[in-house]
Amino acid sequence: MGVVMPLPTERKSKIKSFSKADSTDLALFVRTSEEDITGWNRQRIVDALLRETFVDPDTADRISLDVEKTIQNGAVKTVTGPLIRELVNAKLLELGLEDARRMHTRLGMPLYDVNQLLVQHNKENANVPHGPEATNLTLAEGIKKEYALLHVFSDDVADAHLKGDLHLHDLGFIDRPYCSGQSLEYIKKFGLNLPHGLSMAKPAKHAEVLLAHMVKFAAALQSHFAGAIGWDAINLFYAPYLEELSDRDVKQLAQMLIFEFSQQAVARGGQAIFSDINIYWEVPKHFENVPAIGPGGEYTGKTYGEYEKQAQRFAWALFEVYKEGDALGKPFFFPKPLVHITEKLFKTEGHMDFLNHICDVAADKGNTYFVFDRGETAKISECCRLSFKLEASDLEDAKTPWRMRYSALQNVTINLPRLAYRAEGDDTQIFSLITEQIKLAVKAHAQKKDFIGKLLAMGEGGPLSLLAMKLDGEEYLRLERCSYLIGMVGLNEMVKVHIGQELHESDEAMKFGLKIIAHMNIVCNKMNEKNGMKFVLEQTPAESTAYRFAKLDMAHFPKMAKKVVQGDLEKGEIYYTNSTLYHVGSTMNPISRVEREGLFHPLIEAGAITHVWLGEAYPDKGALTDFVIKTFRHTQNDQIAFSPEFTCCLDCGKTSRGLSQNCSYCKSEHVDGITRITGYFTKLSSWNKGKLGELRERYRNEKRFVEKAV
Amino acid sequence: MTKIKGFIETSFIDWPGKVCAVIFLPGCNFRCPFCHNHPLLQNQDKLQSFLLSDILARLNKFKQWLDGICVSGGEPTLAPDLPDILLKIRSAGFKVKLDTNGSRPQVLANLFDQELLDMVAMDVKAPLEQAKYNQCAGVMVDLDLIRQSIALIKNSGIDHEFRMTVLPKFHSRQDIMLWVDNLSSGSSLKLQNFNPDDPLDPTLHQESGFSPEEFVELTKSIGLC
Amino acid sequence: MTLFTKTDCRLCDQLKNRFDFAAMQVDIEVLDNGDAAALAHLAWHSLVESARKTLPLLVLDDSSTEADFNRIEGYLIDKAMQCGLTIKAIPSQSISCDDGSCSIQ
Repeated sequence: MGVVMPLPTERKSKIKSFSKADSTDLALFVRTSEEDITGWNRQRIVDALLRETFVDPDTADRISLDVEKTIQNGAVKTVTGPLIRELVNAKLLELGLEDARRMHTRLGMPLYDVNQLLVQHNKENANVPHGPEATNLTLAEGIKKEYALLHVFSDDVADAHLKGDLHLHDLGFIDRPYCSGQSLEYIKKFGLNLPHGLSMAKPAKHAEVLLAHMVKFAAALQSHFAGAIGWDAINLFYAPYLEELSDRDVKQLAQMLIFEFSQQAVARGGQAIFSDINIYWEVPKHFENVPAIGPGGEYTGKTYGEYEKQAQRFAWALFEVYKEGDALGKPFFFPKPLVHITEKLFKTEGHMDFLNHICDVAADKGNTYFVFDRGETAKISECCRLSFKLEASDLEDAKTPWRMRYSALQNVTINLPRLAYRAEGDDTQIFSLITEQIKLAVKAHAQKKDFIGKLLAMGEGGPLSLLAMKLDGEEYLRLERCSYLIGMVGLNEMVKVHIGQELHESDEAMKFGLKIIAHMNIVCNKMNEKNGMKFVLEQTPAESTAYRFAKLDMAHFPKMAKKVVQGDLEKGEIYYTNSTLYHVGSTMNPISRVEREGLFHPLIEAGAITHVWLGEAYPDKGALTDFVIKTFRHTQNDQIAFSPEFTCCLDCGKTSRGLSQNCSYCKSEHVDGITRITGYFTKLSSWNKGKLGELRERYRNEKRFVEKAV
Repeated sequence: MTKIKGFIETSFIDWPGKVCAVIFLPGCNFRCPFCHNHPLLQNQDKLQSFLLSDILARLNKFKQWLDGICVSGGEPTLAPDLPDILLKIRSAGFKVKLDTNGSRPQVLANLFDQELLDMVAMDVKAPLEQAKYNQCAGVMVDLDLIRQSIALIKNSGIDHEFRMTVLPKFHSRQDIMLWVDNLSSGSSLKLQNFNPDDPLDPTLHQESGFSPEEFVELTKSIGLC
Repeated sequence: MTLFTKTDCRLCDQLKNRFDFAAMQVDIEVLDNGDAAALAHLAWHSLVESARKTLPLLVLDDSSTEADFNRIEGYLIDKAMQCGLTIKAIPSQSISCDDGSCSIQ
């Protein structure tokens, strides 16, 4: 396992004779009419067996004869390549040659499934629209997923995934790393110079051109990473291009940037680039004295510290655009703006105005993410929750910011409630089961690293040429510096199974929850030392995993799962609570939620978040500013976002606050809801059943009057 | 002792610039057709009650977060023991904001005299014009009392805000201009757009507020943005 | 009272040498031996980030926390006196932590 071995391509074909077949069609078995079997050549079976498996020539010959007999005896009118292959596989099975059968297996999908896929909406990821590009993506993902489970991962890892003990994320993107964070400096310095590009662009001289480069580079990265594409300190790195621009032009640029990223529905699989932009009001300390790169990729002679005002102008303009929303006033889904709240922010002039400005956007549209970098911590955030702490070596890189690029290679999530079912209330057992699962996750990570490493080693001529390019002397993907994410789903339900209460129900439950996460943190650290890889805990966004685990546990552990899965069992809208979050329906005020959930955050080093669901209430921006500052000062919470809900009318086009059955303006029932699904905003019509179940239960801090219990 | 019939531990809505808790006192002398808190008027016996002492004990642990407590309703000035309630909130170390419809200026005057308020928000339902005001309040209103309350609040020297919930059926653009005129400068003014979900008068469920663009344009045109 | 410490921490060691924690009924949590309960306890008191900067840390009976070494020593002296215990003299040269060993990673 773990060996890259090219598998032959197979195609269903109607070519009458394969004697002149194209050299890439390695396995064509064709007949088009009842009598005409001239194209048949038994030797093809033998060749395939010898090429693909370790079966000896005599056995291969015998199998080919058997299959030929079966075909001749059958009344079939057409024989296709896949059918013959399956007949051969059946023979291998009969002979007990299981290894050979696996090596000889074919990947693909039944006709029925393909038909379903082309006409039904794929809801695994709400960010994927339905269309020819999207179904292409899903079909490709389907095959790559099978390939990954058969060929990249060992059987124990693959089985654990299939059974739902853990979840290997983005298996359909097995040949790419998970997510990526970078610096605009890379394209500012080197221009747009991609391997195999049809043309090469020199470093941009104008802000708009830089934007064009950024968008194209992001699209190129999207086709090399499974998930998020993040950009660090975007407003600061644009700053040297803005000096000559009027406020109106800066606003225009902000508008272009946001619309470009929010309208990338023409990219891979029709899927908008999951993009994040990190924004600072102050100049982060680690960039203060760094020489700034400006138009033409030249040093401007100033340091970034001197561009504070320009950077602030751009940050302000970006949030003006978020506040306005799109042409219909709807919130932008991407790029997600992550504003870093730091000690230095509070020492920087104009910070209260800026906080009010971004809280105005949070109240109105919900876009703003507040990332808390307390003390001396510097971070770059991306993806739904993922953030990277900048360590000593990174801060060294900061002096040459184009080198600052980060990647998490893979994300593996552990099904915590299932471990509680297995532990049957035994403390020792539950902790040792967790250790065991983390070890398995580590094994999965090592296998993926091995696989990507081999693809990367093929260099600029290989399949990951973009990641292998060495414009600054190092490969774009610095494999040895990648992180490996270990996530969790359903801590809340695990605790409920094990001690009988959910996290919000008692201090005892919460303390036990902390012990679980502390244990996971400690085991990851031990694994780091042992394997020389960086394993970090992350709060898994679990857009579909929370649903998948709940469904699988209802199948495998129905008695116990029935008591703890959340949602509506009858409708099948079931889920586990995401990561270490509290039950979404617990009537807990936002203060307690950010405090309590925040206790976990320092232990979850790759990033964590608390969501404050707002429902239809339109909060006061000043009140939110106050709340954000207090969250920074009084808690350990890593990141918060406020999530309002909207109803947008498909008839009159108007958007109103809150989720309702009909449009509050024209009363049409032809409406769609918009709110945050996990780490991003999207339309309700694209949500999977589990997330819909969760949505119905979200507590929105607006319950005023409680009827007495009868 | 007046029963507390509603309680929100944390609100981002009720006190501009502040995170506050809100308590709701039952009963009201108005019947505004667009009212959203109508369970406090009609079904208050069915609602769970809260003791002020329990609420204050509960809020104590959030003291570093909460800037104050908003006393809303219903119409809180109808509660005979309102000064006592406010005093207890103050003694527990919280600032006090009062929501009122301004129909009982003598109560307001008393509260100002005792310096029990840190902020007042008064719902001025319509321009000060008898027929319009009656329509929006759902009862006959003595506009002199409303005027007295406005003057008291304006002269109190404490933070205050005048608010109006607007819906096109009741409020024309001219009405809104006139309203702004009535309240003139020196005060914070705020328009709230009508929300058709579950109003007191069920027939209003079929009505719409101003469209988002109209509402933004409206608030901008009268300088309230 | 709970004192969060680690092994090979000079400041922690100084306290361990001076005070009889068992007699004083001060709970000791050791953070670097893979003890999840100790780390969870630290997190419960919102002290994980503090411990990444400095150790030892003291949690008083009212759940307030102290990170300043001199004040921690002060609290412990008070506690020892309440318990009627004698306190060993301060070592001649004062100890400081300048090699970063007095914190968790």
